[in-house]
Amino acid sequence: MDLKAVLDNIFLNDVFVTWVPVLATIMIMSFLYRDNPLYKIGENIFIGVSLGYGWILSWEYIIDPFFIMPVNDMFVEFHMSDITNILWFLLALTMFFRFSRKKAWVANYYFAFLFGYMAGYYIPIAIQNIMLQSTSIMTDLDKGSFFETTKWIVLVFGTFAALIYFFFSKPHKGLLGKTARTGIVVLMIFFGAAFGSTVMGRVSLFIDRALLLVDHPVQSLVCTLAVIIFLIIYFRFFKKDDKTAEEDFI
Amino acid sequence: MKKILEKLKKIDRRIIYLLVFLSIIIPLLPGFDFLIFPVSPTKETKQIFDEIEGLNEGDAVFIDWAFDPSSKAELLPMFEAFFKHCLKKKVKVFIYYASINGINLGKESVKNITAMEEFNWAREGIHYINMEYVPIAADIRIFNMDVDFKGTYKKEGKIFEGVETLRDIKYMIGLSGSAYHFTHVDMQIRFNYKFGIAVTGVMGPDFVPYLQTGQITGMANGLRGAAEYERLVSDKYERNYYGSATKGMSSLTFSHLVIFGFVIVGNIVYYMDKRKRG
Repeated sequence: MDLKAVLDNIFLNDVFVTWVPVLATIMIMSFLYRDNPLYKIGENIFIGVSLGYGWILSWEYIIDPFFIMPVNDMFVEFHMSDITNILWFLLALTMFFRFSRKKAWVANYYFAFLFGYMAGYYIPIAIQNIMLQSTSIMTDLDKGSFFETTKWIVLVFGTFAALIYFFFSKPHKGLLGKTARTGIVVLMIFFGAAFGSTVMGRVSLFIDRALLLVDHPVQSLVCTLAVIIFLIIYFRFFKKDDKTAEEDFI
Repeated sequence: MKKILEKLKKIDRRIIYLLVFLSIIIPLLPGFDFLIFPVSPTKETKQIFDEIEGLNEGDAVFIDWAFDPSSKAELLPMFEAFFKHCLKKKVKVFIYYASINGINLGKESVKNITAMEEFNWAREGIHYINMEYVPIAADIRIFNMDVDFKGTYKKEGKIFEGVETLRDIKYMIGLSGSAYHFTHVDMQIRFNYKFGIAVTGVMGPDFVPYLQTGQITGMANGLRGAAEYERLVSDKYERNYYGSATKGMSSLTFSHLVIFGFVIVGNIVYYMDKRKRG
């Protein structure tokens, strides 16, 4: 039996793929009660597994197809077009000069190329984008319905007022002050909407975990009980200090 | 009253967590199905749906999968609903993974959908194709309408018949939980492709200005966007395509009600306390 089959037998069986995600979820959620060793273990396993997984995928999908294979092919049969690959490899290798204090400047060639290429590509597009965003707001006010027209007026005036809030060349008094005040209200509405969306996103993340727990009720109950018993024993016998939960955050 | 005020001021945050937890978990429990209700679709989500509905059999759609398992909760249901819709319409689906951490999740999801009785006719390389990962520079290159599409991805298959460059792609949708797709929006100005987006709730507001200018044709925002799409597909094809997004919407609604409640109570306590102190 090869190593892959052995690993598959260990990590891809039903017991592992149902119990471990549930246990890991509850271990991480135990932080909501208080910082504890189970949470720390879960956190470290998560970081380790994520990094290991990312590295394996990087090897499989980036290093192997874009570096190892072309170099291999080059040694089997050399084509003139491979010179381009060699140049790219050399340019990429200049990055390692960052480790030397004296020769660090060599890496600047790589960055110069990268920034030049990206700037060349993006600057014209960014200008086009800004122009399109600006001109799109300058349209006919008659939008067909009262609601649409009002929306447009609020949008135009709101943008103007928010910009005025950041205009510091004159003191915010009189009309300028009132406009700036409206501007900050507009900004607060935006931040409120963004915060609402963030809450929705965070709750959605938990819904995903909740679906997992509901799909595996036995595992969820057993793991929850096990974690609760551990927490009771840990805080009763091993961590008796008076530190409050709030202090754990600091 | 004074006692209640003092108690509310010192409420343990763990009680809030517990209530939010219960508001999320209860609607998902068996026997509470009556709490699950389909949401009404917004104009933005419907735009994506209409774009796919307007396609003919054999047209090509490009899915840019730029999320990893951390955004799975919001974006995977959207992908599933969208992919099912595309298969229903018999359009060719090109799936490109811009996030390497999401490749296996994507392939697994595609495998699960194509294993379903309704879609088991779909074959990789003919009806859909997983185009793996190509680094960002090549990703930008494909936006150029004259670059060989197949050559960039080094893939083969009958699916590429009639699809040589991005010009042959009728609609592109990006699924991401980051600012990654701003590039696609910017490039849209130059290359003029149709682009829709499905983003996490956090990123939604950032993309709204592009909807107003027409640079984005449709946006599904967060879990709600996915639930709306599930409803649109279910209504159109009179079948149950409701998935985890619709199931999760009732949890989302109840948890929001709990959060609203605490925000209102918090504000009342704050103002009363302020008035008391003068």
